[in-house]
Amino acid sequence: MQESEVFQRVVKIISPFAKNQAALASVGPNTHILDELKVNSARLVDVVLAFEDEFGIEIADEDVDEVNTVGDAVRLIRSKVA
Amino acid sequence: MPELPRRARVSLAVQLALGRLLAPLWVPLSAALMRCAMGWRVEDVKRTRAEYRRIRGASREPLLICANHLTMVDSALVAWALGSPGWYLLHPAALPWNLPDRENFASSWWARALVYVMKCLPIPRGGDRGEVSSVLARLGWLLRRGEAALVFPEGGRSRSGRVEQDSRTYGVGRILGALPGCRVLCVYLRGERQESWSRLPVRGDRFRARLALLEPKSTDSGLRRSLDLSRQVLVRLAALEEEHFRDRG
Repeated sequence: MQESEVFQRVVKIISPFAKNQAALASVGPNTHILDELKVNSARLVDVVLAFEDEFGIEIADEDVDEVNTVGDAVRLIRSKVA
Repeated sequence: MPELPRRARVSLAVQLALGRLLAPLWVPLSAALMRCAMGWRVEDVKRTRAEYRRIRGASREPLLICANHLTMVDSALVAWALGSPGWYLLHPAALPWNLPDRENFASSWWARALVYVMKCLPIPRGGDRGEVSSVLARLGWLLRRGEAALVFPEGGRSRSGRVEQDSRTYGVGRILGALPGCRVLCVYLRGERQESWSRLPVRGDRFRARLALLEPKSTDSGLRRSLDLSRQVLVRLAALEEEHFRDRG
Protein backbone atom coordinates (compact mmCIF):
# COMPACT_ATOMS: atom_id res chain seq x y z
CA MET A 1 0.00 0.00 0.00
CA GLN A 2 1.35 3.42 -0.98
CA GLU A 3 2.57 5.69 1.83
CA SER A 4 0.42 8.57 0.59
CA GLU A 5 -2.72 6.44 0.64
CA VAL A 6 -2.05 5.26 4.21
CA PHE A 7 -1.29 8.85 5.23
CA GLN A 8 -4.62 10.12 3.88
CA ARG A 9 -6.60 7.35 5.55
CA VAL A 10 -4.76 7.94 8.85
CA VAL A 11 -5.52 11.67 8.76
CA LYS A 12 -9.17 10.90 8.00
CA ILE A 13 -9.35 8.63 11.05
CA ILE A 14 -7.63 11.14 13.35
CA SER A 15 -9.68 14.15 12.16
CA PRO A 16 -12.78 13.66 14.37
CA PHE A 17 -10.53 13.33 17.45
CA ALA A 18 -8.36 16.40 16.72
CA LYS A 19 -9.26 19.49 18.76
CA ASN A 20 -6.81 21.73 16.91
CA GLN A 21 -8.41 22.11 13.49
CA ALA A 22 -5.77 24.68 12.43
CA ALA A 23 -3.00 22.11 12.90
CA LEU A 24 -5.13 19.58 11.06
CA ALA A 25 -5.29 21.86 8.03
CA SER A 26 -1.49 21.75 7.68
CA VAL A 27 -0.95 18.21 8.90
CA GLY A 28 2.24 16.43 7.83
CA PRO A 29 4.21 13.33 8.78
CA ASN A 30 5.96 15.21 11.60
CA THR A 31 2.77 16.54 13.17
CA HIS A 32 2.53 15.35 16.79
CA ILE A 33 -0.83 13.67 17.42
CA LEU A 34 -1.19 14.60 21.10
CA ASP A 35 0.79 17.85 21.32
CA GLU A 36 -0.14 19.51 18.03
CA LEU A 37 -3.42 17.98 16.92
CA LYS A 38 -4.53 17.98 20.59
CA VAL A 39 -6.03 14.52 20.49
CA ASN A 40 -6.99 13.62 24.07
CA SER A 41 -4.56 10.94 25.30
CA ALA A 42 -7.51 8.90 26.61
CA ARG A 43 -8.96 8.86 23.08
CA LEU A 44 -5.70 7.70 21.50
CA VAL A 45 -6.83 4.16 22.17
CA ASP A 46 -9.94 4.74 20.05
CA VAL A 47 -7.76 6.13 17.26
CA VAL A 48 -5.56 3.03 17.35
CA LEU A 49 -8.59 0.70 17.38
CA ALA A 50 -9.91 2.58 14.35
CA PHE A 51 -6.54 1.95 12.61
CA GLU A 52 -6.97 -1.77 13.36
CA ASP A 53 -10.46 -1.85 11.87
CA GLU A 54 -9.61 0.29 8.86
CA PHE A 55 -6.49 -1.64 7.82
CA GLY A 56 -7.38 -5.11 9.19
CA ILE A 57 -4.31 -5.28 11.41
CA GLU A 58 -3.57 -5.93 15.08
CA ILE A 59 -1.58 -3.43 17.09
CA ALA A 60 0.15 -4.43 20.32
CA ASP A 61 0.34 -2.23 23.43
CA GLU A 62 4.05 -1.74 22.89
CA ASP A 63 3.45 -0.54 19.34
CA VAL A 64 1.19 2.23 20.62
CA ASP A 65 4.17 3.64 22.56
CA GLU A 66 5.94 4.27 19.27
CA VAL A 67 3.11 6.34 17.81
CA ASN A 68 3.82 10.00 18.52
CA THR A 69 3.46 11.63 15.10
CA VAL A 70 1.22 10.99 12.11
CA GLY A 71 4.29 9.65 10.31
CA ASP A 72 4.89 7.16 13.13
CA ALA A 73 1.34 5.87 12.67
CA VAL A 74 1.82 5.56 8.92
CA ARG A 75 5.10 3.64 9.35
CA LEU A 76 3.58 1.30 11.93
CA ILE A 77 0.54 0.56 9.77
CA ARG A 78 2.63 -0.04 6.66
CA SER A 79 4.86 -2.46 8.60
CA LYS A 80 1.78 -4.40 9.72
CA VAL A 81 0.04 -4.37 6.34
CA ALA A 82 3.15 -5.51 4.47
CA MET B 1 6.08 -4.82 28.30
CA PRO B 2 9.80 -4.27 27.59
CA GLU B 3 12.47 -6.11 29.58
CA LEU B 4 13.71 -3.95 32.43
CA PRO B 5 17.33 -2.81 31.89
CA ARG B 6 19.85 -3.60 34.62
CA ARG B 7 20.26 0.09 35.45
CA ALA B 8 16.53 0.41 36.15
CA ARG B 9 16.55 -2.73 38.31
CA VAL B 10 19.43 -1.41 40.42
CA SER B 11 17.73 1.97 40.72
CA LEU B 12 14.53 0.31 41.96
CA ALA B 13 16.44 -1.86 44.44
CA VAL B 14 18.05 1.29 45.89
CA GLN B 15 14.66 3.04 46.11
CA LEU B 16 13.19 -0.03 47.78
CA ALA B 17 16.01 -0.16 50.37
CA LEU B 18 15.83 3.57 51.14
CA GLY B 19 12.06 3.44 51.49
CA ARG B 20 12.29 0.56 53.93
CA LEU B 21 15.06 2.27 55.90
CA LEU B 22 12.97 5.40 56.36
CA ALA B 23 9.62 3.61 56.74
CA PRO B 24 9.66 3.84 60.58
CA LEU B 25 9.45 7.61 60.09
CA TRP B 26 7.03 8.15 57.23
CA VAL B 27 4.61 5.25 57.66
CA PRO B 28 3.46 6.05 61.25
CA LEU B 29 3.57 9.78 60.47
CA SER B 30 1.26 9.36 57.46
CA ALA B 31 -1.20 7.31 59.51
CA ALA B 32 -1.07 9.84 62.37
CA LEU B 33 -1.83 12.69 59.97
CA MET B 34 -4.89 10.88 58.65
CA ARG B 35 -6.15 9.73 62.04
CA CYS B 36 -5.24 12.63 64.35
CA ALA B 37 -4.89 15.72 62.17
CA MET B 38 -7.74 14.92 59.76
CA GLY B 39 -9.85 12.81 62.12
CA TRP B 40 -10.53 10.16 59.49
CA ARG B 41 -11.69 6.68 60.48
CA VAL B 42 -12.17 3.45 58.54
CA GLU B 43 -15.19 1.46 59.71
CA ASP B 44 -14.60 -2.17 60.57
CA VAL B 45 -10.92 -1.70 59.81
CA LYS B 46 -9.85 -4.91 61.58
CA ARG B 47 -11.98 -7.04 59.26
CA THR B 48 -10.66 -5.24 56.17
CA ARG B 49 -7.05 -5.66 57.27
CA ALA B 50 -7.58 -9.33 58.12
CA GLU B 51 -9.04 -9.91 54.66
CA TYR B 52 -6.05 -8.25 53.00
CA ARG B 53 -3.65 -10.37 55.07
CA ARG B 54 -5.56 -13.51 54.09
CA ILE B 55 -5.58 -12.64 50.38
CA ARG B 56 -1.87 -11.79 50.34
CA GLY B 57 -1.00 -14.96 52.20
CA ALA B 58 -3.17 -17.20 50.01
CA SER B 59 -0.91 -17.15 46.95
CA ARG B 60 2.57 -16.19 45.83
CA GLU B 61 1.28 -14.83 42.51
CA PRO B 62 1.58 -11.05 41.99
CA LEU B 63 -1.18 -8.96 43.55
CA LEU B 64 -2.30 -5.71 41.94
CA ILE B 65 -4.64 -3.53 43.99
CA CYS B 66 -7.16 -1.57 41.91
CA ALA B 67 -9.24 1.08 43.62
CA ASN B 68 -11.85 3.68 42.82
CA HIS B 69 -10.54 7.23 42.76
CA LEU B 70 -12.24 10.28 44.25
CA THR B 71 -9.60 12.28 46.14
CA MET B 72 -5.89 13.06 45.89
CA VAL B 73 -5.08 11.04 49.02
CA ASP B 74 -6.87 7.84 48.02
CA SER B 75 -3.65 5.86 47.77
CA ALA B 76 -2.74 6.70 51.37
CA LEU B 77 -6.30 5.98 52.54
CA VAL B 78 -6.44 2.61 50.81
CA ALA B 79 -3.04 1.60 52.20
CA TRP B 80 -4.15 2.66 55.70
CA ALA B 81 -7.41 0.69 55.37
CA LEU B 82 -5.51 -2.44 54.32
CA GLY B 83 -2.84 -2.48 57.04
CA SER B 84 -1.71 -0.84 60.26
CA PRO B 85 1.61 1.05 60.37
CA GLY B 86 3.09 -1.60 62.67
CA TRP B 87 2.10 -4.45 60.35
CA TYR B 88 3.57 -2.65 57.34
CA LEU B 89 6.88 -2.20 59.18
CA LEU B 90 6.97 -5.97 59.70
CA HIS B 91 5.68 -6.73 56.16
CA PRO B 92 7.07 -3.91 54.02
CA ALA B 93 6.29 -5.62 50.70
CA ALA B 94 2.58 -5.47 51.57
CA LEU B 95 2.63 -1.66 51.59
CA PRO B 96 1.57 -0.82 48.03
CA TRP B 97 3.60 1.08 45.47
CA ASN B 98 1.80 3.94 43.78
CA LEU B 99 1.87 5.68 40.41
CA PRO B 100 1.13 9.33 41.23
CA ASP B 101 0.70 11.91 38.52
CA ARG B 102 4.13 13.48 37.99
CA GLU B 103 2.65 16.94 37.48
CA ASN B 104 0.68 16.92 40.76
CA PHE B 105 3.04 15.00 43.02
CA ALA B 106 6.58 15.36 41.71
CA SER B 107 6.86 18.87 40.37
CA SER B 108 9.49 20.12 42.88
CA TRP B 109 12.70 18.54 44.19
CA TRP B 110 11.30 18.07 47.71
CA ALA B 111 8.10 16.48 46.39
CA ARG B 112 10.18 14.16 44.20
CA ALA B 113 12.32 13.20 47.23
CA LEU B 114 9.24 12.57 49.33
CA VAL B 115 7.46 10.36 46.82
CA TYR B 116 10.75 8.57 46.11
CA VAL B 117 11.00 7.21 49.65
CA MET B 118 7.23 6.66 49.86
CA LYS B 119 7.19 3.85 47.30
CA CYS B 120 6.02 5.93 44.37
CA LEU B 121 6.84 5.84 40.67
CA PRO B 122 5.61 9.17 39.27
CA ILE B 123 3.99 8.76 35.88
CA PRO B 124 3.41 11.39 33.17
CA ARG B 125 -0.36 11.13 32.64
CA GLY B 126 -1.21 11.60 29.01
CA GLY B 127 2.44 12.23 28.28
CA ASP B 128 5.19 10.49 26.39
CA ARG B 129 4.05 6.90 25.74
CA GLY B 130 7.61 5.62 26.03
CA GLU B 131 7.95 7.05 29.54
CA VAL B 132 4.60 5.58 30.57
CA SER B 133 5.72 2.23 29.23
CA SER B 134 8.96 2.44 31.21
CA VAL B 135 7.08 3.14 34.47
CA LEU B 136 4.69 0.23 33.83
CA ALA B 137 7.66 -2.06 33.17
CA ARG B 138 9.19 -1.08 36.51
CA LEU B 139 5.89 -1.69 38.26
CA GLY B 140 5.68 -5.14 36.66
CA TRP B 141 9.17 -5.96 37.91
CA LEU B 142 8.19 -4.97 41.46
CA LEU B 143 4.98 -7.02 41.33
CA ARG B 144 6.94 -10.08 40.20
CA ARG B 145 9.18 -9.63 43.25
CA GLY B 146 6.17 -9.88 45.59
CA GLU B 147 5.69 -6.15 46.14
CA ALA B 148 2.09 -4.95 46.28
CA ALA B 149 1.06 -2.09 44.01
CA LEU B 150 -1.98 0.14 43.86
CA VAL B 151 -3.35 1.69 40.69
CA PHE B 152 -6.52 3.54 39.77
CA PRO B 153 -7.97 1.93 36.65
CA GLU B 154 -10.13 4.95 35.83
CA GLY B 155 -6.89 6.85 35.16
CA GLY B 156 -7.89 9.84 37.29
CA ARG B 157 -10.41 11.04 39.85
CA SER B 158 -13.93 10.27 38.74
CA ARG B 159 -15.60 13.50 37.68
CA SER B 160 -19.04 11.92 38.04
CA GLY B 161 -18.34 10.73 41.59
CA ARG B 162 -19.11 7.16 40.48
CA VAL B 163 -16.92 4.45 38.98
CA GLU B 164 -16.57 5.33 35.32
CA GLN B 165 -16.91 2.00 33.55
CA ASP B 166 -16.60 3.63 30.15
CA SER B 167 -13.10 4.92 30.88
CA ARG B 168 -10.86 4.15 27.88
CA THR B 169 -7.68 3.72 29.90
CA TYR B 170 -5.92 0.41 29.44
CA GLY B 171 -2.83 0.69 31.67
CA VAL B 172 -4.21 -1.82 34.17
CA GLY B 173 -4.97 -4.29 31.41
CA ARG B 174 -1.50 -3.83 30.05
CA ILE B 175 0.08 -4.64 33.43
CA LEU B 176 -2.18 -7.69 33.83
CA GLY B 177 -1.49 -8.90 30.31
CA ALA B 178 2.24 -8.84 30.99
CA LEU B 179 1.91 -10.71 34.30
CA PRO B 180 0.25 -14.10 33.77
CA GLY B 181 -1.45 -15.29 36.96
CA CYS B 182 -1.57 -11.82 38.46
CA ARG B 183 -4.45 -11.41 40.88
CA VAL B 184 -6.41 -8.20 41.25
CA LEU B 185 -7.66 -6.98 44.58
CA CYS B 186 -10.49 -4.56 43.83
CA VAL B 187 -10.95 -2.02 46.63
CA TYR B 188 -13.90 0.31 46.84
CA LEU B 189 -13.31 2.98 49.48
CA ARG B 190 -15.56 5.94 50.08
CA GLY B 191 -16.21 8.41 52.88
CA GLU B 192 -19.75 8.83 54.18
CA ARG B 193 -19.63 12.52 53.30
CA GLN B 194 -17.88 12.07 49.95
CA GLU B 195 -20.57 13.19 47.52
CA SER B 196 -18.36 13.56 44.46
CA TRP B 197 -14.67 14.00 43.61
CA SER B 198 -12.54 16.45 45.60
CA ARG B 199 -8.99 17.32 46.55
CA LEU B 200 -9.32 15.89 50.08
CA PRO B 201 -12.06 14.09 52.02
CA VAL B 202 -13.75 16.30 54.60
CA ARG B 203 -12.27 16.41 58.09
CA GLY B 204 -13.68 13.73 60.38
CA ASP B 205 -15.11 11.62 57.55
CA ARG B 206 -15.70 7.89 58.11
CA PHE B 207 -14.77 5.50 55.33
CA ARG B 208 -16.15 2.13 54.33
CA ALA B 209 -14.02 -0.31 52.38
CA ARG B 210 -15.14 -3.25 50.27
CA LEU B 211 -12.73 -5.80 48.83
CA ALA B 212 -13.10 -8.36 46.05
CA LEU B 213 -10.53 -10.65 44.49
CA LEU B 214 -10.51 -11.00 40.73
CA GLU B 215 -8.47 -12.99 38.23
CA PRO B 216 -9.32 -11.37 34.90
CA LYS B 217 -8.90 -13.39 31.73
CA SER B 218 -9.38 -12.42 28.11
CA THR B 219 -9.49 -14.28 24.82
CA ASP B 220 -8.70 -11.07 22.90
CA SER B 221 -5.20 -10.06 21.88
CA GLY B 222 -3.17 -6.89 21.52
CA LEU B 223 -4.67 -3.61 22.60
CA ARG B 224 -8.20 -5.06 22.75
CA ARG B 225 -7.00 -7.58 25.34
CA SER B 226 -5.67 -4.79 27.57
CA LEU B 227 -8.94 -2.91 27.21
CA ASP B 228 -10.96 -6.03 28.02
CA LEU B 229 -8.92 -6.77 31.16
CA SER B 230 -9.24 -3.16 32.31
CA ARG B 231 -12.98 -3.25 31.67
CA GLN B 232 -13.40 -6.38 33.83
CA VAL B 233 -11.70 -4.60 36.73
CA LEU B 234 -13.90 -1.51 36.29
CA VAL B 235 -17.06 -3.63 36.14
CA ARG B 236 -16.09 -5.31 39.43
CA LEU B 237 -15.39 -1.95 41.06
CA ALA B 238 -18.77 -0.68 39.86
CA ALA B 239 -20.44 -3.75 41.40
CA LEU B 240 -18.70 -3.00 44.72
CA GLU B 241 -19.97 0.57 44.44
CA GLU B 242 -23.54 -0.72 43.99
CA GLU B 243 -23.14 -2.83 47.14
CA HIS B 244 -21.76 0.19 48.98
CA PHE B 245 -24.77 2.38 48.20
CA ARG B 246 -27.26 -0.46 48.72
CA ASP B 247 -25.91 -1.10 52.22
CA ARG B 248 -25.82 2.59 53.04
CA GLY B 249 -29.51 2.76 52.23
